[in-house]
Amino acid sequence: MRFRVLLSTLALCCVPAGLFGELVSNDMLLHPPPNSWPTYNGDYSGRRFSPLKEIDAANVKGLGLAWTHQVNPGSGPSSGIKATPLLADGVLYFTEPDNAWAVDARSGRELWHYKWESQGGIHIGNRGVGIYHDWLFFETPDNHLISLEAKTGKFRWSVVIADLAQEYFSTPAPIVIRNHVIVGVGGDSLDVPGYLESRDPETGAVQWHWNTEPRPGEPGSETWPGADAMEHGGGMTWNPGTYDPDLNLIYWGTGNPNPVHAGASRKGDDLWTCSIVALNPDTGKLAWYYQVSPHDTHDFDATQTPILFDAVYKGKKRKLLAQASRNGFFFLLDRTNGEHLLTTSYIDQTWASGTNKKGQPLEIPSKEPQTSGALASPASGGATNWFSPSYDPGTGLFYVNTTQSYSIYYLTDTSPRPEGYAGRDSGVWAQCALKAIDPETGKVRWSHPYTPLHSDGAGILSTAGKLLFTGDPYHHFVAFDPGTGRILWHVGLNGNVSNGPITYELDGHQYVLVASGDVLYSFKLLR
Amino acid sequence: MKRTKHNFRAAVLLCCSAAVLSAGQTTNAAAQAQSPSPGTKPATEAKQAQGNVRAERMAKFLAIGEAPDPAAVQRGKQLFTATCGFCHGATATGGEGGPNLVRSILVLHDNNGSNIGPVVHGGRPGKGMPAFPSITDAQISDIAAYLKSRIQAAANRGAYEIQNIVTGNAEAGKTYFDGAGKCSTCHSTTGDLAGVAKKYEPDVLQSLILYPIAPGKSEEDLPEKARETATVTEPNGQKVSGFLMHLDDFNVAVQDSSGTYHSWERQGNGDDGLKVDVRNPLQAHVDLVKTINDTDLHNVLAYLETLK
Repeated sequence: MRFRVLLSTLALCCVPAGLFGELVSNDMLLHPPPNSWPTYNGDYSGRRFSPLKEIDAANVKGLGLAWTHQVNPGSGPSSGIKATPLLADGVLYFTEPDNAWAVDARSGRELWHYKWESQGGIHIGNRGVGIYHDWLFFETPDNHLISLEAKTGKFRWSVVIADLAQEYFSTPAPIVIRNHVIVGVGGDSLDVPGYLESRDPETGAVQWHWNTEPRPGEPGSETWPGADAMEHGGGMTWNPGTYDPDLNLIYWGTGNPNPVHAGASRKGDDLWTCSIVALNPDTGKLAWYYQVSPHDTHDFDATQTPILFDAVYKGKKRKLLAQASRNGFFFLLDRTNGEHLLTTSYIDQTWASGTNKKGQPLEIPSKEPQTSGALASPASGGATNWFSPSYDPGTGLFYVNTTQSYSIYYLTDTSPRPEGYAGRDSGVWAQCALKAIDPETGKVRWSHPYTPLHSDGAGILSTAGKLLFTGDPYHHFVAFDPGTGRILWHVGLNGNVSNGPITYELDGHQYVLVASGDVLYSFKLLR
Repeated sequence: MKRTKHNFRAAVLLCCSAAVLSAGQTTNAAAQAQSPSPGTKPATEAKQAQGNVRAERMAKFLAIGEAPDPAAVQRGKQLFTATCGFCHGATATGGEGGPNLVRSILVLHDNNGSNIGPVVHGGRPGKGMPAFPSITDAQISDIAAYLKSRIQAAANRGAYEIQNIVTGNAEAGKTYFDGAGKCSTCHSTTGDLAGVAKKYEPDVLQSLILYPIAPGKSEEDLPEKARETATVTEPNGQKVSGFLMHLDDFNVAVQDSSGTYHSWERQGNGDDGLKVDVRNPLQAHVDLVKTINDTDLHNVLAYLETLK
């Protein structure tokens, strides 16, 4: 049975003008107004940069609590709010696994709560909703795409997007592009193939389906030993991608190949796993790809946000794409055609000996998982992971929360037909740091390291107020000077920041919103 | 705040195709490593118990369902090996012409023989599979239980067993321990490390060689001489020294020799007039993690494994 917590009449009265218009239009998605955050990254570029500047380096000390709101996801362990809330018409929409909420952005008052009765799946987190016109879309651990009416939380329909019996589970926030709802999937417990789909916002029907693995005989199939390896090759699409409307291309990172830690049954590069792929959002057709970890055996998903920006590279203005990848390397590409421009390592990695002519890391064979253990950096959790990076066009720097970690990688399944993870790693030491990377050189411009053995998983927001907001590993929400890394403001929360912060303007005032666990915290300048 | 290894280890374990849990939640994470119980149980029994806990927690996190009845699994395994193993492989991962059934979508959707039964009874004439009409429904149920156990074993990475990892050269390990590794600067194989191989399973010991906080243990569980200490000098010149209890950009705390806890607020950027000098006796291990090669690591493990 499904139920939803009904709106009170009072709450209904608080929903403003959106009752009579389109909550999120295509134009809003292309040019997000300051009183909105209409898609996962704020806009399609993935920069998580806001032009708002009421709050700036000079007055940020006056930032204080506007409201907090604690959600109650009901029974079972909570993953906390990992979703980036979307804002439209003064209302915030966000999720936890099986749950969606609407909250008044001015007061934190809950307008409605929708709960999905789960049939199972991994409840590790959910990245949020997508909005098309007046409809919300979110994915569930049991692989349903659910559509709700945004104003009421009323159920419209659900469709199955992946097979729970094959251990798929779904965490991404759908990305809406015109009349396409782009949905990714996750799951690598068993050896199943990854894919990306576009769904019809009216009906949930499949518009196109892109397979991470080629089919026998297709280009790319030469990087696999055969059809069986491809059919079970992994490569999940579990983090939201980005979009360039002018080029009409979406950019998605793909996950690790399967079996995860054993490469014996999938010799070759294993395209298009651990890759950045550019697809046409109307057809799902592959325009180009760049593989950041050929033949991965360390679980180094390349699903981190491929950030899009235009900047001068070697004297020429270019349309760029940058990714700080889980494997410890920073990649700069030309997003028109996938031309490789630059690779650097942004932590001290020890699994690769360098890069080849295409800028791809060269794995040291002895650093593949071994039965007796291979010590390597980073650990399988990676040099970074799902939490959002940011690019600030003011400083021209790329920001990412990083982990310098070391782990012993064990191969546990030495059979010719390894299964599932086929190995595991055992972390021994780690140190997190917030880093600013200069995309033109790939060098770390500044680094803010934290005390070792604490883990951090906060997203990053940068603003035209010359501020960078993120969480540290000790429950603080912190504003940095994005040019220098100097700390300008902080506040202690109930736990570590658990999502990517956002900012928006309402009634002429700028708010900054962040989540920790089950609590949303809203900040504004206190006068 | 206690600096345990929980957060980091749980995060590493859970970094599958979804996310790390944020640190705030990891103390309740499904996949926390269990701390070893040094010296309280025979090592193999302790390993078994520890492995079971890890496997059960991971099974819950992965939501792979209840384990099938072990007796049915055992019966199903015997029947499968004898009847199906030639074509499908003894472990059902494929054999002489028969497909891998652990990855079979038909099998993954089976419910106590609902899908498997008709195929076994009717065969697949077009694909060369003969019919087995005499296999009873109860036997089908047992085969289904066995296949389910195989699927769960593949999916549950918390149940994977690390193989024999003591492959190094103990003699070379001793040379490294006393020489280049500088281990003997702080450790003695007849003192603090006497009998260490009895206390820990080899994979745990291999981790502890690199950094000596066992899974599930915190810095406060370390012997006093191994704990981090700090001296905080206030702007007026007054100094307080003790165990470092916490250090971040905005707070520092120490516990002095009388057991009294002291904490200070900091302003970030280190420009608050407080001077904090930290001494980490484990710095040599941090350096070791970053520099040791696998051969030396395996050799030292082999050497320490002689200390029973």
